[in-house]
Amino acid sequence: MRLLLVDDEKEFVETLAERLSLRGFEADWATSAKSAEKFIDSRHYDLVLLDVKMPKVGGRELKKIIEKKLPGIKTIYLTGHGSEEDYHAGSAEAEYYLMKPININELIAKIKDALGKEAQS
Amino acid sequence: MTHPIDPIGEAGLRFYSKVSASISHEIKNSLAVINESAGYLEDVTRMAKKGMTVDMNRLETLAGSMLKQVQRANTIVKNMNRLAHSLDDPAVRTDLNTLIELMLHLSQRTTVTRGFKVSAAFSEPPVIIVTHPFFVENLIWLILNFAMDATGDAQSIELQPVKTTSGAKINFTGLDQLTQNAFENFQTEPVTLMVSALKSRLQADENKGMIILNLPDDISQPAQ
Repeated sequence: MRLLLVDDEKEFVETLAERLSLRGFEADWATSAKSAEKFIDSRHYDLVLLDVKMPKVGGRELKKIIEKKLPGIKTIYLTGHGSEEDYHAGSAEAEYYLMKPININELIAKIKDALGKEAQS
Repeated sequence: MTHPIDPIGEAGLRFYSKVSASISHEIKNSLAVINESAGYLEDVTRMAKKGMTVDMNRLETLAGSMLKQVQRANTIVKNMNRLAHSLDDPAVRTDLNTLIELMLHLSQRTTVTRGFKVSAAFSEPPVIIVTHPFFVENLIWLILNFAMDATGDAQSIELQPVKTTSGAKINFTGLDQLTQNAFENFQTEPVTLMVSALKSRLQADENKGMIILNLPDDISQPAQ
């Protein structure tokens, strides 16, 4: 299973990708919508984890861009933002909407659930 | 029975709430980095116990990252504390360089998320006036939010404190799309009340793409 993680916090996204790799996932990471698009254009991904609040192009906007290129791709939102409004909007759009800091085991359970039986770890 | 809403009080609470939300978001980001770094250390410790080789340089980087995030969170909390204490005294000697620097930090998440660069040209020597710091901070916040809709393609705003004969002024430049009509619409009741409470004056210069906040030397003295 190949994942793309997008978050403007480089240290966060880099380390989370490493931890997911240690658990058997192929995980690439990007710190902006622009660099995420380059990954999407060059490889296939099964699921994207997107930070909701990022400079210029946020996760919700990026999701629409990615879906045009990879229809049917699964999405999990990650955010440090706790507004009820964002939570409801985000939950309706993505498979899951997780709050930072995250629990790796919970994240993996959500990834597997989102990907159904295809997931391997 | 209904109670009238105090516009200046409501604007202050709105400002404080927005900053609190932004700051809690920033702190959660710091905690998230620390959480992943600690989690990675736990992962590699388990691997090392099973005899796998551990990249010591990576561990050193992670330790440094955690220390950096603790410093980052500490700075965020210190800034929030400074904002909270700016309501302590309605007339206090205030260094406008320091106040503007604080506002740049507190508004950073909001401005950067919207793709704007906000900077300051600090004054040397510092411009010091006696004022109500919270109202000045609130006005800067409101002007910045307005200014983001009035900048040109550069999406860049600069704040500059300047000493004047009657006190000081803060110039907000980079508002290339500023119009007198938009500026008039910006001056809502809370804005005009805040400007009045500060015994200040707000001006716009369309040609220079600039808003100027003129502040008296000492708010505790009768207005000139």
